[in-house]
Amino acid sequence: MRIHRLLRAAAACWLLCEIGLLLAQNAPGSLQSLKVISSSTGADSLLKGESAAWDQIAPKHLALNRTPPLYDTDEPAALDISNVDVRCVRTGDKLVVQLSWRDPTHDAVSLQEVPNSAPETRFRKVQTEANDRFFDAVAVMIPKEPGSQIAPSLQMGDAEHPVQIYYWNATRGAMLMEAQGRGTTRRTGQTFPTNGTYQHGVWCVAIELPNQRPGTLVAFAVWNGSQADRDGRKYFSVWQVLE
Amino acid sequence: MSKHQYAIVMDLNKCLGCQTCTIACKKLWTDRDGTGYMYWNNVETRPGLGYPRQWDRIGGGWKDGMLQPSPLPTMDDYGHAWEYNYEQRLFEGKKQPVMPSPEPKSGVNWDEDVGGMNEEENYFFYLPRICNHCTYPACVEACPRKAIYKREEDGIVVIDQDRCQGYRYCIKACPYKKIYFNEVTGKSEKCIFCYPRLEKGEVNACAAQCPGRIRFVGLLDDPESPVHKLVLVHKIALPLFPEKGTQPNVYYVPPFNPPKGTNYGKSILEDSRIPIDYLVYLFGPEVKDVLTRLEAELKRTQAGGRSDILQLLIGRDADARFHVRPKLVQIQT
Repeated sequence: MRIHRLLRAAAACWLLCEIGLLLAQNAPGSLQSLKVISSSTGADSLLKGESAAWDQIAPKHLALNRTPPLYDTDEPAALDISNVDVRCVRTGDKLVVQLSWRDPTHDAVSLQEVPNSAPETRFRKVQTEANDRFFDAVAVMIPKEPGSQIAPSLQMGDAEHPVQIYYWNATRGAMLMEAQGRGTTRRTGQTFPTNGTYQHGVWCVAIELPNQRPGTLVAFAVWNGSQADRDGRKYFSVWQVLE
Repeated sequence: MSKHQYAIVMDLNKCLGCQTCTIACKKLWTDRDGTGYMYWNNVETRPGLGYPRQWDRIGGGWKDGMLQPSPLPTMDDYGHAWEYNYEQRLFEGKKQPVMPSPEPKSGVNWDEDVGGMNEEENYFFYLPRICNHCTYPACVEACPRKAIYKREEDGIVVIDQDRCQGYRYCIKACPYKKIYFNEVTGKSEKCIFCYPRLEKGEVNACAAQCPGRIRFVGLLDDPESPVHKLVLVHKIALPLFPEKGTQPNVYYVPPFNPPKGTNYGKSILEDSRIPIDYLVYLFGPEVKDVLTRLEAELKRTQAGGRSDILQLLIGRDADARFHVRPKLVQIQT
């Protein structure tokens, strides 16, 4: 029991150090910038990866961190995905962010579509095929207040600095979320255009956001379904500043 | 802590294993997309694998104030929902026999009546299970979304479907594995103790439909309710796996099968058909005292006396078995 308490105390200290380190990285003036180019190519073409505009910008190789175990019962997870490549293109009133990362496990399925008719009027109902699988996902987080110069908490923002999260799940699609602190994430019911492909062990997901002014803070997260990632169990980057 | 606590007592000596409760619940609550495999109410044969398989051994619950780890049961553990080819047989003129698909390999009642052997004598009993609506629910603690809460007015534990994101920490935390993931909706679901019925003064569907009249429902803190009498006054009903630390609010009157062929004149504890160790495993050491009390009540009635406990357990009329207090649970507007 005493050893258990010591281990918990050590874990708590480590978590505090980790958060302190990240906060230090997020101090004004220490944030790294993320190059953005402008293009006249349509957002649809950019989403599909067809535009030559993508060739004009070198991807930024962003280091990913693994969240520390959040719960006592969490299984440990290795840092299997160490980075994500990010490219950003402005086009008209849109900002298209392309994220690609190596993930040897393709955790995505096509769930059977639910017919429009009420279940009780059908012979067959759509069945749950598996209950223990989780899916790959990625998200782009920005402050909800445009032009906010103060970095919100990386843990889904905070009460004074709410965030918007453009979340894409390989099975369930795109969901716009809002949050103001850990555990407050809320689906807005809105969606947004995306395109995700998986080839040769690499995910490439393009996400369309409304255009964001230069200086906007942006952070990224990646979930690996095979590692039972969901919720705060994930990979994350520190805040970046859009050029 | 909630102001009041609904509880249910199930008399395992009266359970027929007929699954009427299971079907009552299924038709009312889990006849939707994604719910085919899930049974908020199930009846399993004991000893047996249970549903999901080996749920009693895989983990969850509390120990020394800490949540305990557990893997997620797999669909093979629950058994995949199967459907029959009625359309082809009845409407499309195909002369195939009616067959289930996919081929069943496991299921909610897979090892029905298999039971066990105790010195060459067979024994088994049925164990109906619903969510225990625990006083210290591990699922509530485990949910990072705070999507699960215990209703203050009546202690019923429910999942807010708007807040649930389908993370399934609750399923891992529940030592009774009574929360189910609906992959179609991407959210988790569980028994709601039929709270919409209770709020209208109707007892839970599983209890209302039970032909064996094994279920007693009421508020634990209501002196008029049968559950108060059975659990707190007569002390003849026990929760399942009390050592899991969640303090369940489903209580069981422990079973004693008919006497073994060789034990005429011996007491239950002396030579029980169901091994006492197995009952201790399920209900804790207190089960021995409960069995002793029950046997004494039986002996009294066999000798021509009267037993208030046995009269209550007979529960012939619904009024004796159920004491629903709709006014207590009505949501204040």
